[in-house]
Amino acid sequence: MNMEIKKPNEQENTLEIKNLVIHYISDEEVVKAVNGVNIIIKAGKTLGLVGETGAGKTTTALSILNLVPEPQGKILSGEVLLEGRSVLAMSDLELEAIRGDKVAMIFQDPMTSLNPVHTVGDQIAESIEIHRKVSRQEALKQAKEMLELVGIPSERSNEYPFQFSGGMKQRVVIAIALTCNPTLLIADEPTTALDVTIQAQVLKLINELRQKYHMSMLMITHDLGIVAEVCDEVSIAYAGRIIEHGTLEDIFDHMRHPYTKGLFDALPDIGARRSELKPVKGLMPDPTNLPPGCPFHPRCDYVMEVCSQSVPENKWLSETHCVECHLYKDSNESMLKEVLL
Amino acid sequence: MSDVLLEVKDLKKYYKVPKGMLHAVDGVSFDLERGKTLGIVGESGCGKTTIGRAILRLVEPTSGSVIFDGVDILKLNKPEMRYMRRNMQLIFQDPFSSLNPRKTITQTIEEPIILANMIPDPDKRFMRVMELMDTVGLAERLVNTYPHELDGGRRQRIGIARALAMNPKFIICDEPVSALDVSIQAQILNLMKKIQREMGLTYIFITHNLAVVNHFSDDVAVMYLGRMVEKAPSETLFANPGHPYTQALLSAIPVPRIHNRPERLLLRGEITSPINPEPVCRFVNRCNYAIPICSKEEPGLIEIEPSHFVACHRVGELQKG
Repeated sequence: MNMEIKKPNEQENTLEIKNLVIHYISDEEVVKAVNGVNIIIKAGKTLGLVGETGAGKTTTALSILNLVPEPQGKILSGEVLLEGRSVLAMSDLELEAIRGDKVAMIFQDPMTSLNPVHTVGDQIAESIEIHRKVSRQEALKQAKEMLELVGIPSERSNEYPFQFSGGMKQRVVIAIALTCNPTLLIADEPTTALDVTIQAQVLKLINELRQKYHMSMLMITHDLGIVAEVCDEVSIAYAGRIIEHGTLEDIFDHMRHPYTKGLFDALPDIGARRSELKPVKGLMPDPTNLPPGCPFHPRCDYVMEVCSQSVPENKWLSETHCVECHLYKDSNESMLKEVLL
Repeated sequence: MSDVLLEVKDLKKYYKVPKGMLHAVDGVSFDLERGKTLGIVGESGCGKTTIGRAILRLVEPTSGSVIFDGVDILKLNKPEMRYMRRNMQLIFQDPFSSLNPRKTITQTIEEPIILANMIPDPDKRFMRVMELMDTVGLAERLVNTYPHELDGGRRQRIGIARALAMNPKFIICDEPVSALDVSIQAQILNLMKKIQREMGLTYIFITHNLAVVNHFSDDVAVMYLGRMVEKAPSETLFANPGHPYTQALLSAIPVPRIHNRPERLLLRGEITSPINPEPVCRFVNRCNYAIPICSKEEPGLIEIEPSHFVACHRVGELQKG
């Protein structure tokens, strides 16, 4: 894809996903979950991947660890490079070595991602034992330190998940993810299941730890507020494509894609009451039956003839900001002005 | 005299659990005027859902009174209560589990009409279903579809049509948009506002999402561990929150802005247990402003400015600061 305009130093990127296409194929239908995603996460940076249900966020994340569920899930094309090495070409043994070690994942629901019949200390120690090849005793000792790190008294390491509240369980999950000091942390809606005051605590913790360990992070979320709080760059996903990408400033202050604009307009603003919200009209497209051309065109207020005929190319508006939309061809100056107003 | 539709007085709902009594709702009182919306906000376990259910007597309140349109509904017997419920409906949070998967849209919407025997004639009843579907923006061609064929937004529209079938005066909306994507959430909120305007409905809007409640409600009540800690008109509450918990709750919301970000007040710890609470301020363990009296006496609601109520021992001092 049109990545050549910005040619970053390969060494700087923790993660590079190039033109990734993943479909779930069953006898009856083909679910086109990911349709040409490009993502770059620079070392030590956090990328927010934003989108609604069915945008392909989680499938993209799973591909980073080559965990796309088989046999339905098929990676049809594309590359996933972790520190320059292709993940999709790795053997099972190599994958095992990076999962939980170089790349760790925090899932949405802390209630179901912990094992109910093992103590939290054991669950943290397990990962240390496997990846660090230390004795069980040493692993348990380190597990206690990890608990302290995420703000849980180490005496509680012998307790079971049911004895912990939701926020504390998510802290345990974070502790497990961080045990091996990963280079890349994938957080898939890490605070969606938590109350706001607890969410605030957990986000603060993630931010502190990320800076302390210089981790790169992929933050998957539907909440633009969380993006504003923890991310450096943002990719907006729609129907399995990244339709806009930029720095926080590019996206929050100079959003260009009509869908990005729609997402911001649909949010109730806590500071200013409006009599009516401005929803994005229509529904997310059915991934088994995507519209031709730009997947957003049936819902777009600025739709043109060309939108239903061809998929817009990725256009770089600046060093950091790119958008996939027919409005941003040079010939459409007049339409462009209207959107920008 | 204002036109009060619903008056809730000292409503309590306790549950017996092995360790003692769980105070889910502990002495909540408020009035709600006809055509207005009261938002009830709070985090999990604060009793907001239980209040809604207790008002409809879907759980039997332990004590207190609920006066609806001049009638104390806690004194009604079963048939009378059944009749009364025509006026009081509920919209649920999860449009995936609140619809019967084996019923078509038509069957779901007409069920309450059949149960109440409101329109015995099947043709007229079908006309009524079509009218309801039109009101909530469901296309006619969907009459015979099943819930699994529809997305979350459309399912929630069915839930709303079903609630409207009885021509109610009052609807309790329990997290009606929490399960929906933002672009769809805005559609449903706008629909609910439109219906309210057109039919003169009164709403209680239960949610944990403060931005939504600010957008939607005339008054907001903040709950913490079964108690109402603050109640005020929306603008007042958001501009000038009085209770330390409300302040922390407001500052905890991640704001989708990158400039002028508000400073965050982080709370210590987590919500405490609602089982056998001591008669002291329930927020004392997490409060940044606690003084000795807070762990001795339970504060009552004080009116600090017209229709702005706060339950905090230090409210006078904190407001100035």
